[in-house]
Amino acid sequence: MPIKLPPGTSASTHASAVKEMQRVVGADWVFTSEEDLDTYRDAYSIRWGHDDEYLASAAVAPTSVEEVQAIVRIANKYKIPIYPISTGKNLTYGGSAPTYSGSIVLDLKRMNRVLEVDEKRAFALVEPGCSYFDLYRYVKDKGLKVWIDCPDPGWGSPIGNALDHGVGYTASQFRDHWGAHCGMEVVTPTGEIMRTGMGALPNAKTWQEYKYGVGPHVDGLFAQSNFGIVTKMGFWLMPQPEAWLTGTVNVPKYSDFIPLVEHCNYLEDAMIATGQAIYSSGLGGPQNAAEVQALMANRYPTLPELDAYAEKKGVPAWRVKLQFYGPPEVIQARWEYAQERISKAIPGTTFTNFEALPMPLTEAQEKTHHLVNFGIPNMAIFASMARQPGDADPKDGHTDFFAVCPRTGEAVFKALKLVYDTQTELGVPITASPFRGPVTWHHKVFFMGAPAVDSQRNDPAFNRRMRTLYDAYVKKFSDAGFPPYRTNPGAQDLLAAQFSFNNNVLLKFQEALKDGIDPNGILAPGRYGVWPKRLRTKRA
Amino acid sequence: MPIKLPPGISAAAFAEAVKEFQGAVGADWVFTSEDDLDTYRDAYSISWGHDDEYLASAAVAPDTVEQVQAVVRIANKYKIPLYAISTGKNLTYGGSAPTYSGSVVVDLKRMKRVLKVDDKRNFALVEPGCSYYDLYQHIKDRGLKVWIDCPDPGWGSPIGNALDHGVGYTASPFRDHWGSHCGMEVVLPNGEIMRTGMGASPTSDTWQDYKYGVGPHVDGLFAQGNFGIVTKMGFWLFPQPESWMTGTVHVPKYSDYSALVDHCNYLEDAHLATGQTMYGSNLGGPGVIATPEYRALMANGWPTIEQLDAYAAQRKVPAWRAKLQFYGPEKAVRASWAYAQRRISAAIPGATFTDIEFATLPLSPAQEKTHHLVNFGIPNMAIFQIVARPPAGPNNANPYDGHTDFFAVVSRSGSEVFRAMKAVYDVQKELKIDPITATPFSSPVTWHHKVFFMAAGGVGNQRGDAEHNRRMRALYAAYIEKMAAAGFPAYRTNPGAQDLLVKQFSFNNNALLKFQEALKDAVDPNGIMSPGRYGLWPKQLRGKKA
Amino acid sequence: MKALIAVLGAVISLAGTAAPVFAADAGQLALGKEKFDYWCDTCHAPDPREAGRYLPGTASLNAKYNGSRPGALVDRTDLLPPYVELVIRKGMEGMPFFRKTEISDAEMKAIAAYLSRNTRQ
Repeated sequence: MPIKLPPGTSASTHASAVKEMQRVVGADWVFTSEEDLDTYRDAYSIRWGHDDEYLASAAVAPTSVEEVQAIVRIANKYKIPIYPISTGKNLTYGGSAPTYSGSIVLDLKRMNRVLEVDEKRAFALVEPGCSYFDLYRYVKDKGLKVWIDCPDPGWGSPIGNALDHGVGYTASQFRDHWGAHCGMEVVTPTGEIMRTGMGALPNAKTWQEYKYGVGPHVDGLFAQSNFGIVTKMGFWLMPQPEAWLTGTVNVPKYSDFIPLVEHCNYLEDAMIATGQAIYSSGLGGPQNAAEVQALMANRYPTLPELDAYAEKKGVPAWRVKLQFYGPPEVIQARWEYAQERISKAIPGTTFTNFEALPMPLTEAQEKTHHLVNFGIPNMAIFASMARQPGDADPKDGHTDFFAVCPRTGEAVFKALKLVYDTQTELGVPITASPFRGPVTWHHKVFFMGAPAVDSQRNDPAFNRRMRTLYDAYVKKFSDAGFPPYRTNPGAQDLLAAQFSFNNNVLLKFQEALKDGIDPNGILAPGRYGVWPKRLRTKRA
Repeated sequence: MPIKLPPGISAAAFAEAVKEFQGAVGADWVFTSEDDLDTYRDAYSISWGHDDEYLASAAVAPDTVEQVQAVVRIANKYKIPLYAISTGKNLTYGGSAPTYSGSVVVDLKRMKRVLKVDDKRNFALVEPGCSYYDLYQHIKDRGLKVWIDCPDPGWGSPIGNALDHGVGYTASPFRDHWGSHCGMEVVLPNGEIMRTGMGASPTSDTWQDYKYGVGPHVDGLFAQGNFGIVTKMGFWLFPQPESWMTGTVHVPKYSDYSALVDHCNYLEDAHLATGQTMYGSNLGGPGVIATPEYRALMANGWPTIEQLDAYAAQRKVPAWRAKLQFYGPEKAVRASWAYAQRRISAAIPGATFTDIEFATLPLSPAQEKTHHLVNFGIPNMAIFQIVARPPAGPNNANPYDGHTDFFAVVSRSGSEVFRAMKAVYDVQKELKIDPITATPFSSPVTWHHKVFFMAAGGVGNQRGDAEHNRRMRALYAAYIEKMAAAGFPAYRTNPGAQDLLVKQFSFNNNALLKFQEALKDAVDPNGIMSPGRYGLWPKQLRGKKA
Repeated sequence: MKALIAVLGAVISLAGTAAPVFAADAGQLALGKEKFDYWCDTCHAPDPREAGRYLPGTASLNAKYNGSRPGALVDRTDLLPPYVELVIRKGMEGMPFFRKTEISDAEMKAIAAYLSRNTRQ
């Protein structure tokens, strides 16, 4: 694939910029060959092999903040767009490819230091190339009694993930990774180093403890955006609990889901069930696929029909696995309370799969438990897309779609039907199901997944169909009030356009701010729909 | 006091603008008389009666978002600076007076609606003029099972308080009022209405559930800032707990404090002690500085930890205490308290436990009379006792008219608290304050769940004594500078000290302030929105101040 | 790409059982093991937990070879360095390719040598 230059940049200008960048980081750490640039493509892109696939013109890998500054200054000098990545593993949401083709990728993987972990005040300070695995190993090697909160893929970056609104699996206040961050160091689009919050005060020791400092908070501007390159970031950590307890609540009727959610919201918000509540239905799953298909043969079933179906099957319609962290006697009392509360409110509720373990898990227990609920990074999620017995031709990748949905049963029912409606309208195979539970990565909203949209690196026509389907999800879910929380560069303009209150005034405000601090428009143009002035007409 | 015009605006132009403001909100809701404007002065100002006291040129009180828009557009037309207040009760941090004299105060008190409270998803949506009392009453009237989290003064605004980094008294996720906000509506400096987060999605119902929406978050710009006028804001609420329990931990040695803090941090961060931990020392308290023992202790300057340990041993009282609080089902709170006792007993020899109490919630009217109401999310005005005529205080016969608070941000560690206490002492000593009120027995406040705030003693002001106020200004400015130099800046301050405080945040030649200024210029080209708030001046005025 | 990988796969099947095909010094093997443990082990380790639930690489290769070859890469006796290098830089199905900032050329060669250490003629 020929190297794509930034539009409006001549080959000689690009070459001069590359040469200057080589002087900063060393020739070994500037990549321009086709072979090397191929490793910066988005491996899971549904644009793979299309003319408008997102491609870098070069990649440069600094190892210090000063080198980052120098590169930003060169980019300004030549007005060449740069696109920072952390570990580059933001797969399904863009991977290591830029949002604007021809950009030079600023690969921060070499800046992978864990700078500080404080066990007593429960925080960490890391660099962007540091992965969840790296941070976990650091904590473990030093025997510190704190947990990290990681998303499914352990090779991701705590910083990159938080900046992209990533989420995890332990206690409420840590699952929202952006919410648990505290303090940043940023290289601004003009090449200045800035520290936010208490980091701006030279002698403060509270940079990772108090987020705000004084005056307007600018941290938010660096999330899902292009206002600066984050070179350090702090995170609040969970103290290692004494024990963990789980029990599953089963409710008989399909419509019991509505009160079930209300009670689980209470248990979560009142800090009684301090771990993640995991919803599912005994009526779903691959073993029931044919029957579920039949249930939806003509149209999406009504609530009474679903109640009747659950009754006929004699299986509890919904279940929720509750999790508790804390001292044994406390979590036992909290679990007993949860049982009392829900039994009283929902007739026919049963409680199963009770388990209680001291923490940390033993090595043997690690083999059989859902590790992310214990803050242990791993790669298990990739098994879901890898080759399974009976699936000879696994897909090369997939693009996730998770919609932000209020924590109510009614909203979940509406979102489930919406998947069906979208698939029906587009005439694609129906994989929707009334028995898909909401995902509880965030503690105040549900994320409702539409079945992942696959990609195949050798099949551009397939990918084209998937793009249509994906865009339809973005549009229809947003129309219904359930926009996705995060998306890949190919859908970022479309998604940002859905946030249209008062003629897209929020986007206009973001763009005015962007112009104020990135006059040359060199930093990650187009990320999440925010384009610099000179490229604003490029918007899809 | 003569009315102050906005600098650079002629009386004629100002009169025209006032007429337009009257057209927008009605003549009754534009205030220009001296009498009326006096009610917009900062009642607790340490600049009271000084030439540089912050004074408004007029006040305008819109009732709707559309009226706010109209006011902002008029201000742009005449280039007249505005200064938005919510309930105007931000006393000790500026009250209802503007940061830039001659500004027109936009008084949002009339916009006081509670727009929504959901007790299944546990959130509220309110307008800026709505007070903690208003929100509390709304919830109570409807029997909704959620708590609010309020600061000491109940008449304040949840929005105004959160925007100023205000804090409260219930469970950790709610005490940080900015942290528990979710979703905003803002009138921008150009008069446009904007909604942030999910509010920008016309169809979404999660504006008060999910903060982020997509793309860069702009909410932070409106906190201690001047990027727009917040006209609606959401807050996450604490579901009403079943019961409450408290017990007080006492540790014998002065130096036990470090371990005590470490364990309380754990209980807080692990959501075991779900309520606020309140520290105190049995060796401190009112009047202690006058006692001969204390004078002897301090005779040769700040004592060492060893001397303080010896002092506590000799006095035969436990040096430190922490009142723990627990919300939740009875069995769970009892188990948590039992665990806390076991954990701390095992770690700190000689720890004792007293003042154990259990109550089912809500409190009965009788219990309300004897409990610290803010720990139960019940707004009240008890705090003003300390500026009224306290029975045992130096000023009980002639109380101060007001005071200016100073609370420094300090790490949650014993050694940092020791260092911060000494830093306050050093300032008082250097300024030859007599008597020195800083003691080694002050304890941090735990309004925020991840840091302590250490008070440096309220600085009293007297409206009838301009000279006294001038001395207080010097003391206050010294606190700002010297505490920041030691790493303990104030979390919040009054307009008179905002430039000075912001200047201390000087990393890389004040890079943060410069970045904020570039943002400000980009969205407020006429510089009309609250110029100078927290040190952020628009281009037109930059360099003229501070 | 798949075609190229298929050709290399065919080359693999020619490998026999005599002496090691590839000479590598101890230092390179140690580096290869270190980098394999750091980068690859999280998906390709032996000891499939819960039938490979936590090890997508091993699970996938188990499904692919169905007993004809070990699923865990460290147990393989037929891997050739160029093939290992190709998969690292070009990816394979859901496994994305690795950049030089993650695995440098020298580290890649060391991993390849390590995984080929038991390959016999």
